[in-house]
Amino acid sequence: MGEVEKMKKEAEGLKTEIEAARKAVHDTDMAAAAAGLAPAPRVQLKTRRTLKGHLAKIYAMHWCTDNKLMVSASQDGKLIIWDSHSGNKINAIPLKSSWVMTSAYAPSGNLVASGGLDNMCTVYNLKTPVVKIIKELDAHTGYLSCARFLNDADILTASGDTTCALWDIETGKQKTVFLNHIGDCMCLALSTDMNTFVSGACDSLAKLWDIRDGQCKQTFQGHTSDINAISFFPTGNAFITGSDDCTCKMYDIRSDQEVIGYQDAQLNSGVTSLALSMSGRLIFAGYDDFNCNIWDSLKGEKIGVLSGHDNRVSCTGVPSDGMCVCTGSWDSFLKIWN
Amino acid sequence: MVPQYKAERLRLQQFPWMKGDSPVNSTMSVGQARKLVEQLKIEASFCRIKVSKAAADLMAYCDAHACEDPLITPVPTSENPFREKKLFCALL
Repeated sequence: MGEVEKMKKEAEGLKTEIEAARKAVHDTDMAAAAAGLAPAPRVQLKTRRTLKGHLAKIYAMHWCTDNKLMVSASQDGKLIIWDSHSGNKINAIPLKSSWVMTSAYAPSGNLVASGGLDNMCTVYNLKTPVVKIIKELDAHTGYLSCARFLNDADILTASGDTTCALWDIETGKQKTVFLNHIGDCMCLALSTDMNTFVSGACDSLAKLWDIRDGQCKQTFQGHTSDINAISFFPTGNAFITGSDDCTCKMYDIRSDQEVIGYQDAQLNSGVTSLALSMSGRLIFAGYDDFNCNIWDSLKGEKIGVLSGHDNRVSCTGVPSDGMCVCTGSWDSFLKIWN
Repeated sequence: MVPQYKAERLRLQQFPWMKGDSPVNSTMSVGQARKLVEQLKIEASFCRIKVSKAAADLMAYCDAHACEDPLITPVPTSENPFREKKLFCALL
Protein backbone atom coordinates (compact mmCIF):
# COMPACT_ATOMS: atom_id res chain seq x y z
CA MET A 1 0.00 0.00 0.00
CA GLY A 2 1.40 3.40 -0.93
CA GLU A 3 2.35 5.81 1.82
CA VAL A 4 -0.55 8.17 1.03
CA GLU A 5 -3.00 5.28 1.13
CA LYS A 6 -1.66 4.15 4.49
CA MET A 7 -2.02 7.63 5.94
CA LYS A 8 -5.52 8.01 4.52
CA LYS A 9 -6.46 4.82 6.30
CA GLU A 10 -4.90 6.13 9.50
CA ALA A 11 -6.92 9.33 9.09
CA GLU A 12 -10.15 7.37 8.69
CA GLY A 13 -9.31 5.42 11.82
CA LEU A 14 -8.70 8.62 13.79
CA LYS A 15 -12.00 10.11 12.61
CA THR A 16 -13.84 7.01 13.77
CA GLU A 17 -12.02 7.27 17.10
CA ILE A 18 -13.06 10.92 17.51
CA GLU A 19 -16.69 10.15 16.73
CA ALA A 20 -16.71 7.29 19.21
CA ALA A 21 -15.16 9.46 21.91
CA ARG A 22 -17.80 12.14 21.35
CA LYS A 23 -20.57 9.55 21.51
CA ALA A 24 -19.14 8.14 24.72
CA VAL A 25 -19.63 11.44 26.57
CA HIS A 26 -22.97 12.20 24.94
CA ASP A 27 -25.04 11.10 27.95
CA THR A 28 -27.63 13.85 27.31
CA ASP A 29 -28.13 17.01 25.29
CA MET A 30 -28.72 20.58 26.42
CA ALA A 31 -32.47 20.61 25.73
CA ALA A 32 -33.03 17.42 27.74
CA ALA A 33 -30.85 18.69 30.59
CA ALA A 34 -32.77 21.97 30.64
CA ALA A 35 -36.20 20.35 30.41
CA GLY A 36 -36.99 21.08 34.05
CA LEU A 37 -35.77 24.67 33.86
CA ALA A 38 -38.23 27.54 34.05
CA PRO A 39 -38.61 29.10 30.61
CA ALA A 40 -36.78 32.36 30.02
CA PRO A 41 -39.14 35.32 30.38
CA ARG A 42 -41.00 36.25 27.22
CA VAL A 43 -38.83 39.09 25.99
CA GLN A 44 -40.49 42.20 24.62
CA LEU A 45 -37.90 44.73 23.69
CA LYS A 46 -38.66 48.17 22.33
CA THR A 47 -36.69 50.19 19.85
CA ARG A 48 -35.08 52.91 21.94
CA ARG A 49 -32.96 54.50 19.23
CA THR A 50 -32.92 54.41 15.45
CA LEU A 51 -29.53 55.63 14.27
CA LYS A 52 -29.84 57.26 10.89
CA GLY A 53 -26.88 58.46 8.93
CA HIS A 54 -25.60 55.75 6.65
CA LEU A 55 -26.67 56.03 3.02
CA ALA A 56 -26.35 52.39 2.03
CA LYS A 57 -26.33 48.85 3.44
CA ILE A 58 -24.77 48.42 6.86
CA TYR A 59 -22.51 45.37 6.98
CA ALA A 60 -20.99 45.47 10.45
CA MET A 61 -21.12 47.04 13.88
CA HIS A 62 -19.10 46.64 17.07
CA TRP A 63 -19.52 48.06 20.58
CA CYS A 64 -16.78 49.89 22.41
CA THR A 65 -15.98 48.51 25.88
CA ASP A 66 -17.34 51.77 27.38
CA ASN A 67 -20.85 50.50 26.53
CA LYS A 68 -21.75 53.83 24.98
CA LEU A 69 -19.80 54.28 21.74
CA MET A 70 -20.08 51.95 18.79
CA VAL A 71 -18.68 51.74 15.26
CA SER A 72 -20.69 50.79 12.18
CA ALA A 73 -19.52 50.14 8.61
CA SER A 74 -21.55 50.66 5.47
CA GLN A 75 -21.21 50.26 1.72
CA ASP A 76 -21.66 54.03 1.55
CA GLY A 77 -17.92 54.02 2.23
CA LYS A 78 -18.06 55.28 5.80
CA LEU A 79 -17.28 54.11 9.30
CA ILE A 80 -19.47 56.00 11.75
CA ILE A 81 -18.70 56.23 15.46
CA TRP A 82 -21.98 56.73 17.33
CA ASP A 83 -22.79 57.82 20.85
CA SER A 84 -25.60 55.34 21.40
CA HIS A 85 -27.03 57.19 24.41
CA SER A 86 -27.60 60.48 22.61
CA GLY A 87 -27.85 58.99 19.12
CA ASN A 88 -25.25 61.51 17.91
CA LYS A 89 -22.51 60.82 15.40
CA ILE A 90 -19.08 61.38 16.91
CA ASN A 91 -17.05 60.64 13.78
CA ALA A 92 -17.60 59.77 10.15
CA ILE A 93 -14.47 58.15 8.75
CA PRO A 94 -14.21 57.88 4.95
CA LEU A 95 -13.02 54.48 3.72
CA LYS A 96 -10.63 54.05 0.79
CA SER A 97 -12.70 51.06 -0.30
CA SER A 98 -16.47 51.10 0.16
CA TRP A 99 -16.74 47.29 -0.08
CA VAL A 100 -16.46 46.89 3.65
CA MET A 101 -17.44 43.68 5.45
CA THR A 102 -16.22 44.16 9.00
CA SER A 103 -15.48 46.77 11.62
CA ALA A 104 -13.96 46.48 15.08
CA TYR A 105 -13.39 48.67 18.14
CA ALA A 106 -10.21 48.16 20.17
CA PRO A 107 -10.84 47.42 23.88
CA SER A 108 -8.95 50.63 24.76
CA GLY A 109 -11.30 52.75 22.65
CA ASN A 110 -8.27 54.28 20.90
CA LEU A 111 -8.46 52.42 17.60
CA VAL A 112 -10.99 51.06 15.12
CA ALA A 113 -10.42 48.75 12.16
CA SER A 114 -12.24 47.96 8.94
CA GLY A 115 -11.78 45.61 6.02
CA GLY A 116 -13.57 43.92 3.13
CA LEU A 117 -13.11 43.20 -0.56
CA ASP A 118 -9.87 45.20 -0.57
CA ASN A 119 -8.33 42.16 1.21
CA MET A 120 -6.84 44.52 3.78
CA CYS A 121 -7.45 45.41 7.40
CA THR A 122 -7.10 49.16 7.91
CA VAL A 123 -6.44 50.40 11.45
CA TYR A 124 -7.41 53.97 12.43
CA ASN A 125 -6.39 56.10 15.41
CA LEU A 126 -9.41 57.88 16.88
CA LYS A 127 -7.42 59.95 19.31
CA THR A 128 -5.53 62.21 16.91
CA PRO A 129 -7.26 65.57 16.19
CA VAL A 130 -8.29 64.15 12.81
CA VAL A 131 -8.82 60.39 12.59
CA LYS A 132 -5.75 58.92 10.87
CA ILE A 133 -4.92 55.57 9.29
CA ILE A 134 -2.06 54.10 11.32
CA LYS A 135 -1.64 50.89 9.33
CA GLU A 136 -2.92 48.96 6.37
CA LEU A 137 -2.49 45.24 7.08
CA ASP A 138 -2.02 43.76 3.66
CA ALA A 139 -1.19 40.08 3.20
CA HIS A 140 -4.46 38.21 2.87
CA THR A 141 -5.20 36.97 -0.64
CA GLY A 142 -8.95 37.05 -0.11
CA TYR A 143 -11.55 39.39 1.35
CA LEU A 144 -11.48 40.37 5.00
CA SER A 145 -14.64 39.04 6.63
CA CYS A 146 -13.91 39.75 10.30
CA ALA A 147 -11.39 41.54 12.52
CA ARG A 148 -11.05 41.69 16.31
CA PHE A 149 -8.47 43.60 18.38
CA LEU A 150 -6.71 41.82 21.25
CA ASN A 151 -5.24 45.17 22.32
CA ASP A 152 -3.75 48.25 20.62
CA ALA A 153 -0.81 46.18 19.36
CA ASP A 154 -2.45 42.98 18.08
CA ILE A 155 -5.41 42.19 15.87
CA LEU A 156 -6.94 38.93 14.60
CA THR A 157 -8.45 38.69 11.12
CA ALA A 158 -10.53 36.12 9.24
CA SER A 159 -10.38 36.02 5.45
CA GLY A 160 -11.97 34.61 2.31
CA ASP A 161 -8.51 33.15 1.55
CA THR A 162 -9.47 30.43 4.15
CA THR A 163 -6.94 31.63 6.74
CA CYS A 164 -7.09 33.61 9.94
CA ALA A 165 -4.11 35.68 11.04
CA LEU A 166 -2.70 37.44 14.09
CA TRP A 167 -1.00 40.72 13.17
CA ASP A 168 1.48 43.03 14.84
CA ILE A 169 -0.11 46.38 14.10
CA GLU A 170 3.10 48.37 14.55
CA THR A 171 5.14 46.34 12.04
CA GLY A 172 2.14 45.55 9.85
CA LYS A 173 3.24 41.92 9.63
CA GLN A 174 1.42 38.67 10.32
CA LYS A 175 2.80 37.06 13.51
CA THR A 176 0.84 33.85 13.09
CA VAL A 177 -1.24 32.39 10.27
CA PHE A 178 -3.95 29.91 11.23
CA LEU A 179 -4.27 27.33 8.47
CA ASN A 180 -6.80 24.52 8.47
CA HIS A 181 -10.15 25.66 7.06
CA ILE A 182 -10.92 24.59 3.50
CA GLY A 183 -13.51 27.29 2.85
CA ASP A 184 -13.68 31.08 3.21
CA CYS A 185 -13.41 32.12 6.87
CA MET A 186 -16.45 34.24 7.63
CA CYS A 187 -16.28 35.05 11.34
CA LEU A 188 -14.22 34.80 14.49
CA ALA A 189 -14.69 35.31 18.22
CA LEU A 190 -11.96 35.87 20.79
CA SER A 191 -12.03 34.19 24.21
CA THR A 192 -11.95 36.53 27.21
CA ASP A 193 -8.54 35.23 28.28
CA MET A 194 -7.28 35.93 24.74
CA ASN A 195 -5.47 32.60 24.57
CA THR A 196 -7.89 31.05 22.08
CA PHE A 197 -10.36 32.03 19.42
CA VAL A 198 -13.03 30.24 17.40
CA SER A 199 -13.65 30.68 13.69
CA GLY A 200 -16.53 29.77 11.37
CA ALA A 201 -16.12 29.14 7.65
CA CYS A 202 -17.81 28.22 4.39
CA ASP A 203 -16.61 24.64 4.86
CA SER A 204 -19.45 24.47 7.45
CA LEU A 205 -16.94 23.86 10.25
CA ALA A 206 -16.10 25.80 13.38
CA LYS A 207 -12.56 25.53 14.70
CA LEU A 208 -10.91 26.38 18.00
CA TRP A 209 -7.37 27.75 17.77
CA ASP A 210 -4.55 28.32 20.25
CA ILE A 211 -3.30 31.86 19.59
CA ARG A 212 0.15 31.19 21.02
CA ASP A 213 1.12 28.09 19.03
CA GLY A 214 -1.08 28.69 15.97
CA GLN A 215 -2.60 25.23 16.16
CA CYS A 216 -6.16 24.18 15.44
CA LYS A 217 -7.05 22.25 18.60
CA GLN A 218 -10.62 21.22 17.89
CA THR A 219 -13.00 21.04 14.91
CA PHE A 220 -16.77 21.16 15.31
CA GLN A 221 -19.16 19.73 12.71
CA GLY A 222 -22.91 19.86 12.33
CA HIS A 223 -23.78 22.76 10.07
CA THR A 224 -24.57 22.01 6.45
CA SER A 225 -23.68 25.39 5.00
CA ASP A 226 -21.51 28.47 5.56
CA ILE A 227 -21.11 29.61 9.15
CA ASN A 228 -21.59 33.39 9.08
CA ALA A 229 -21.57 34.27 12.77
CA ILE A 230 -19.92 33.02 15.93
CA SER A 231 -19.88 34.16 19.54
CA PHE A 232 -18.56 32.79 22.84
CA PHE A 233 -20.88 31.98 25.72
CA PRO A 234 -19.77 34.16 28.70
CA THR A 235 -17.99 31.28 30.49
CA GLY A 236 -15.80 30.69 27.45
CA ASN A 237 -16.60 26.97 27.61
CA ALA A 238 -19.14 27.07 24.80
CA PHE A 239 -19.85 29.08 21.68
CA ILE A 240 -22.83 29.69 19.38
CA THR A 241 -22.73 29.67 15.58
CA GLY A 242 -25.19 30.96 12.97
CA SER A 243 -25.29 29.58 9.44
CA ASP A 244 -26.73 29.84 5.94
CA ASP A 245 -28.42 26.51 6.75
CA CYS A 246 -30.94 28.66 8.71
CA THR A 247 -29.94 27.28 12.10
CA CYS A 248 -27.84 28.32 15.05
CA LYS A 249 -25.99 25.80 17.17
CA MET A 250 -24.30 25.76 20.54
CA TYR A 251 -21.08 23.76 20.75
CA ASP A 252 -19.51 22.90 24.09
CA ILE A 253 -15.74 23.06 23.98
CA ARG A 254 -15.03 20.63 26.84
CA SER A 255 -17.33 17.90 25.45
CA ASP A 256 -16.11 18.71 21.94
CA GLN A 257 -19.56 18.61 20.26
CA GLU A 258 -22.84 20.26 19.45
CA VAL A 259 -25.12 20.30 22.48
CA ILE A 260 -28.21 22.04 21.10
CA GLY A 261 -29.58 23.47 17.85
CA TYR A 262 -31.83 26.47 17.34
CA GLN A 263 -34.13 25.93 14.40
CA ASP A 264 -37.72 26.25 13.34
CA ALA A 265 -39.45 24.60 10.38
CA GLN A 266 -40.87 27.95 9.36
CA LEU A 267 -37.51 29.65 9.30
CA ASN A 268 -35.93 29.32 5.90
CA SER A 269 -33.57 32.28 5.87
CA GLY A 270 -29.90 32.17 6.63
CA VAL A 271 -28.47 33.53 9.88
CA THR A 272 -26.23 36.52 9.27
CA SER A 273 -25.22 37.57 12.77
CA LEU A 274 -25.66 36.78 16.44
CA ALA A 275 -25.02 38.14 19.92
CA LEU A 276 -25.66 36.85 23.43
CA SER A 277 -27.17 38.62 26.40
CA MET A 278 -24.89 39.09 29.41
CA SER A 279 -25.95 35.92 31.24
CA GLY A 280 -25.81 33.91 28.03
CA ARG A 281 -29.46 32.92 28.35
CA LEU A 282 -30.66 34.89 25.33
CA ILE A 283 -29.37 34.63 21.76
CA PHE A 284 -30.18 37.45 19.37
CA ALA A 285 -29.81 36.09 15.84
CA GLY A 286 -30.18 38.25 12.74
CA TYR A 287 -31.64 36.60 9.64
CA ASP A 288 -31.92 37.30 5.91
CA ASP A 289 -35.72 37.61 6.37
CA PHE A 290 -35.32 41.07 7.98
CA ASN A 291 -35.94 39.83 11.52
CA CYS A 292 -33.82 39.23 14.57
CA ASN A 293 -35.09 36.18 16.46
CA ILE A 294 -34.53 35.76 20.19
CA TRP A 295 -33.73 32.22 21.35
CA ASP A 296 -33.56 30.68 24.82
CA SER A 297 -30.01 29.33 24.66
CA LEU A 298 -30.68 26.50 27.15
CA LYS A 299 -34.10 25.23 26.05
CA GLY A 300 -33.71 25.90 22.34
CA GLU A 301 -37.04 27.73 22.06
CA LYS A 302 -37.75 30.90 20.14
CA ILE A 303 -39.03 33.41 22.66
CA GLY A 304 -39.25 36.67 20.80
CA VAL A 305 -38.63 38.64 17.61
CA LEU A 306 -37.18 42.05 16.93
CA SER A 307 -39.06 43.30 13.88
CA GLY A 308 -38.56 46.72 12.52
CA HIS A 309 -35.96 46.57 9.81
CA ASP A 310 -36.96 46.82 6.16
CA ASN A 311 -34.15 44.66 4.90
CA ARG A 312 -31.75 41.91 5.99
CA VAL A 313 -30.34 42.22 9.52
CA SER A 314 -26.61 42.05 8.84
CA CYS A 315 -25.10 42.60 12.28
CA THR A 316 -26.03 42.45 15.95
CA GLY A 317 -24.15 43.31 19.11
CA VAL A 318 -24.69 43.46 22.86
CA PRO A 319 -22.40 45.78 24.86
CA SER A 320 -20.39 44.30 27.73
CA ASP A 321 -22.81 45.67 30.36
CA GLY A 322 -25.63 43.83 28.61
CA MET A 323 -27.83 46.92 28.70
CA CYS A 324 -29.29 46.60 25.18
CA VAL A 325 -28.97 44.88 21.83
CA CYS A 326 -28.07 46.73 18.64
CA THR A 327 -29.14 45.52 15.20
CA GLY A 328 -27.77 46.85 11.92
CA SER A 329 -29.41 46.30 8.57
CA TRP A 330 -29.15 46.56 4.81
CA ASP A 331 -31.94 49.16 5.23
CA SER A 332 -29.10 51.53 6.35
CA PHE A 333 -30.33 51.93 9.93
CA LEU A 334 -29.10 50.72 13.29
CA LYS A 335 -31.62 50.13 16.04
CA ILE A 336 -31.03 49.89 19.77
CA TRP A 337 -33.47 47.73 21.72
CA ASN A 338 -34.10 47.03 25.36
CA MET B 1 -22.60 45.45 -11.37
CA VAL B 2 -22.64 45.11 -7.61
CA PRO B 3 -20.48 42.16 -6.68
CA GLN B 4 -22.21 39.59 -4.53
CA TYR B 5 -19.89 38.72 -1.71
CA LYS B 6 -20.49 35.00 -1.86
CA ALA B 7 -22.93 34.19 -4.63
CA GLU B 8 -20.44 33.76 -7.45
CA ARG B 9 -18.22 31.51 -5.41
CA LEU B 10 -18.30 27.80 -6.09
CA ARG B 11 -19.86 26.27 -3.01
CA LEU B 12 -18.74 23.03 -1.52
CA GLN B 13 -21.81 20.93 -2.16
CA GLN B 14 -20.51 17.86 -0.52
CA PHE B 15 -19.59 17.75 3.07
CA PRO B 16 -16.64 15.41 3.43
CA TRP B 17 -17.11 15.00 7.16
CA MET B 18 -20.59 13.57 6.57
CA LYS B 19 -19.45 11.01 4.06
CA GLY B 20 -16.31 10.11 5.94
CA ASP B 21 -14.12 11.15 3.04
CA SER B 22 -10.95 13.04 3.63
CA PRO B 23 -11.33 16.72 2.86
CA VAL B 24 -8.62 16.65 0.20
CA ASN B 25 -9.16 14.91 -3.13
CA SER B 26 -7.64 11.54 -3.95
CA THR B 27 -4.52 13.08 -5.46
CA MET B 28 -3.32 14.14 -2.00
CA SER B 29 0.40 14.56 -1.63
CA VAL B 30 2.39 12.80 1.07
CA GLY B 31 2.85 16.11 2.84
CA GLN B 32 -0.88 16.86 2.84
CA ALA B 33 -1.73 13.37 4.07
CA ARG B 34 0.80 13.65 6.87
CA LYS B 35 -0.60 17.04 7.93
CA LEU B 36 -4.12 15.61 7.94
CA VAL B 37 -3.07 12.70 10.15
CA GLU B 38 -1.17 15.02 12.52
CA GLN B 39 -4.16 17.32 12.85
CA LEU B 40 -6.50 14.42 13.54
CA LYS B 41 -4.10 13.07 16.16
CA ILE B 42 -4.22 16.42 17.98
CA GLU B 43 -8.02 16.42 17.87
CA ALA B 44 -8.31 12.77 18.88
CA SER B 45 -6.14 13.25 21.96
CA PHE B 46 -8.55 15.78 23.49
CA CYS B 47 -10.08 14.81 26.85
CA ARG B 48 -13.82 15.24 26.65
CA ILE B 49 -16.15 15.82 29.59
CA LYS B 50 -19.68 14.47 29.75
CA VAL B 51 -22.35 16.61 28.12
CA SER B 52 -24.41 16.37 31.33
CA LYS B 53 -21.59 18.13 33.22
CA ALA B 54 -21.15 20.74 30.47
CA ALA B 55 -24.89 21.40 30.40
CA ALA B 56 -25.06 21.68 34.19
CA ASP B 57 -22.28 24.28 34.20
CA LEU B 58 -23.99 26.33 31.49
CA MET B 59 -27.32 26.25 33.33
CA ALA B 60 -25.66 27.21 36.61
CA TYR B 61 -24.00 30.22 35.00
CA CYS B 62 -27.24 31.48 33.43
CA ASP B 63 -29.03 31.03 36.72
CA ALA B 64 -26.39 32.85 38.73
CA HIS B 65 -26.31 35.81 36.36
CA ALA B 66 -29.99 36.18 35.38
CA CYS B 67 -30.55 38.93 37.95
CA GLU B 68 -27.69 41.02 36.58
CA ASP B 69 -28.73 40.56 32.95
CA PRO B 70 -30.59 43.77 32.03
CA LEU B 71 -32.32 42.06 29.11
CA ILE B 72 -33.78 39.38 31.42
CA THR B 73 -34.22 41.40 34.59
CA PRO B 74 -34.96 44.91 33.33
CA VAL B 75 -33.35 47.77 35.23
CA PRO B 76 -35.58 50.57 36.57
CA THR B 77 -36.34 53.17 33.90
CA SER B 78 -34.25 55.75 35.76
CA GLU B 79 -31.18 53.53 35.28
CA ASN B 80 -31.81 52.76 31.62
CA PRO B 81 -29.53 55.02 29.56
CA PHE B 82 -31.72 54.35 26.52
CA ARG B 83 -35.02 55.38 28.10
CA GLU B 84 -37.17 57.84 26.23
CA LYS B 85 -35.90 61.28 27.00
CA LYS B 86 -38.49 63.57 28.44
CA LEU B 87 -37.77 67.11 27.53
CA PHE B 88 -38.92 69.73 29.92
CA CYS B 89 -39.29 73.23 28.66
CA ALA B 90 -39.29 75.92 31.27
CA LEU B 91 -41.19 78.99 30.23
CA LEU B 92 -39.32 81.94 31.56
